[in-house]
Amino acid sequence: MLKISKIITQNVTVANLTGKRHMLTSARLLANVESSSGNSNPDEPIDITNPFQKDPQQCILCKHNIHPHYKNVKLLSQFQSPYTGRIYGRHITGLCKQKQEDVEKAILRAQQFLLMPGYHKDLDFLQDPKLFDPEKPVRPHKY
Amino acid sequence: MPTYELALVFRQLPRTELISVIKRTAEAILDKGGIIRKLENLGTRALPHKLSEHGVVHRTGTHFTIAFDSAPTQISDLKEEFGRDIDIVRRYVFKVEEPLDHKCTLHEELLPPAYRKDVQELIDIAKRKQKPKYNYNSGLDYYPFQK
Repeated sequence: MLKISKIITQNVTVANLTGKRHMLTSARLLANVESSSGNSNPDEPIDITNPFQKDPQQCILCKHNIHPHYKNVKLLSQFQSPYTGRIYGRHITGLCKQKQEDVEKAILRAQQFLLMPGYHKDLDFLQDPKLFDPEKPVRPHKY
Repeated sequence: MPTYELALVFRQLPRTELISVIKRTAEAILDKGGIIRKLENLGTRALPHKLSEHGVVHRTGTHFTIAFDSAPTQISDLKEEFGRDIDIVRRYVFKVEEPLDHKCTLHEELLPPAYRKDVQELIDIAKRKQKPKYNYNSGLDYYPFQK
């Protein structure tokens, strides 16, 4: 118990230095310790969720809560190759399955409605900032 | 009645004629028992590529959308009617769908293949499809079948 309280105090001092995130984890630790303090034996391992668990990764459209729409040509043309006009795949764009599907559907719709060229990128959007690097077609992974 | 969106590209027209074309298309929808919800002008601009329609080559066009409610059975008739109109270069009807509220599944898709749900399903299917095989460690000291 002493050790745990030590850890918590350390965590708290760190939290003061580094900010919210650590505060949250230490708060989680505290709550868990309180709930498990009913155990009679203090030497038993305590049951807590992993305090170092990272937040689940989100794709760029989900993160900003953007729904691709066929009239939003400026956004859609960012997912198109400037050389061939082809839609970049999921391994390049780094989107989740659903959003990639939505983007592809919206691009096809815009091309049919003559808002977007199919064989090249619109010249007005050539200088737009890049959301991803097509030269490195590998999704981020930890293995 | 489901809500549809009609995306139209008109050929380059002076203002008065453009108004008459829009009126014509809107009245066609109303005549078929539809209800118009929204008219939206997206402006006149150069088309992404030249295209020939009704025997004329078009390089500029006016984009216009009409949101309307109509019976699904009337859609093909409307499309056919707009297809005959010389002033309409492109027409495209689709259902209006509210954006789905979905949670990002990226963190699941980034797992190693053995931990992904869709891969696990594939492995299950492959296992189910395998033929039963004679087990050589079955305790018998001979192969019981004809070789």
